[in-house]
Amino acid sequence: MKAIAAVALNTFREAIRDRVLYLILAVALVVVGGSRFVAMLTVGSEIKIVKDLGLAAISLFGLLIAVFVGVSLVSKEIERRTVYTLLAQPVARWQFVAGKYAGLLLVLASNVLVVGSAVLAAVAVMGEPPWVLVPAIALILVELAVVAAFAVLFSSFTNPILAAVGTVAVYVTGHLSWSFDLLKKRVAAGLARSLCDGLHAVLPNLDRLDLKAEAVHGAAIPAGTFAAAAAYGAFYALAVVVLACVVFERREFA
Amino acid sequence: MSRRAAAAALFAFAALAAGWARARLDTLEAPRAGTKELLYLPNGKYLRAASLGQAPIVADVVYFWAIQYYSDYGREDRYKYIEHVFGTVIPELDAHFIDPYWLGALILTTEAGDVEGGLRLLDLGAERNPHEWILPFLAGWECDHAKEYDRAAAYFDRAARIPDAPAALVRLVAGMRARGGNLREAIAKWEEVLTDPRGDDVSHAIARRQVRTLRVRADLKDLDAAVLAFRERRGAPPRRLEDLVRAGLLGRVPLDPDGKPYGYDPATGTVSSEASRVLGS
Repeated sequence: MKAIAAVALNTFREAIRDRVLYLILAVALVVVGGSRFVAMLTVGSEIKIVKDLGLAAISLFGLLIAVFVGVSLVSKEIERRTVYTLLAQPVARWQFVAGKYAGLLLVLASNVLVVGSAVLAAVAVMGEPPWVLVPAIALILVELAVVAAFAVLFSSFTNPILAAVGTVAVYVTGHLSWSFDLLKKRVAAGLARSLCDGLHAVLPNLDRLDLKAEAVHGAAIPAGTFAAAAAYGAFYALAVVVLACVVFERREFA
Repeated sequence: MSRRAAAAALFAFAALAAGWARARLDTLEAPRAGTKELLYLPNGKYLRAASLGQAPIVADVVYFWAIQYYSDYGREDRYKYIEHVFGTVIPELDAHFIDPYWLGALILTTEAGDVEGGLRLLDLGAERNPHEWILPFLAGWECDHAKEYDRAAAYFDRAARIPDAPAALVRLVAGMRARGGNLREAIAKWEEVLTDPRGDDVSHAIARRQVRTLRVRADLKDLDAAVLAFRERRGAPPRRLEDLVRAGLLGRVPLDPDGKPYGYDPATGTVSSEASRVLGS
């Protein structure tokens, strides 16, 4: 546990030294701050626009961080050969990967905390209770945790470009996983239908982690639904990280 | 000519030519795409799929675009696809986004004069958002403007029954019933206002005054109708109002809200009320 924490803290420190991270964060804050001006373009409830833009900023800029920081986490260490020094220490390979993931998760949580606080403040200033957005923001973090897990998985066996493509593909597929169910109804029974079923079950269903519309409209989000969604995302991410650890354990370095 | 001079001359020529072209362009009206532009607006369900979990913000963007599009009064056939944009594309992205329903309805009813189209949009919004009283409330006003008072009353009644709707909505139901000539139903609604514990003193005072006024109007209407029927049957108006009861045209002769009998002129068959004069109705 100590080793994981050490790697995580190092990863976090390294990430927050990256100027790109600050640029992404600054743009996200500008989007949130500017949402009040954008809301002037609407006819009707400006507050909805502020909430929508805020939640989209948390989600999209978080995704950018998850992809750009996540895909090079492991591969960069291999490329720079710093991984040899690290693994010469009393750190197991799985601990290294788990620590890297935990560090990335810390970066993502910090980003969600900063941008999320700005969104909640903007909503509160407009005179609406901001707390209704908290479940949606929490699930955005869970979604980012799943995406980050894939970024670390791909990073553990391929180069950053391929890892970025793979992670974005997972994000896209995760939001379109309902289409496998649709496709299933249009193909003949047999292997194709089983494949659709399999993909629908195995690929992450990121739409189930999306409660943005419900939160924005102040709809009641049942505690059971929220807890089940959070558990699904958290366990899915855990499974992917375990897979990343296994892959990295088996990897041979030249 | 040196290379530098040639470059300077070319630059000056290009700058002047660009300036001339820009000045010419400014004198010409920008071409309009017309409603053909709308043919390229994807269906909401496809936009939702393409939005990858960001459907609410895409709904906002389409709404912004629609506001700009429909604010251009120079467009031909601008009302052609309103229901599609405000009732299909945006709701398919965010069914609980209330503003597009009423804005689309407002454009249809106020600008296009299409009350039925506007009501269809508001009905659609109300169906998808049964907890929003504002949509049937606005539909009620559209019907009021169209002088369809019974329909307006039905919409206000629907709005009033939604939890958290303002108590004052029942007053609108009563008002529309009265405007539509259903005075007894209007009285029943005003009595509902009188007994509503959510109502304040002002609301109760308005209701008391309305019940009193409408009761006089309803009684006078019934009495006038009975006198007319009597006159048609016997060829002359009754000598006294009690004759209407004996002729089976009335169950009983009503008294005014002060407990006094209504005035009656047998020569002309005119029924009157002191209470109504006091109230100025």
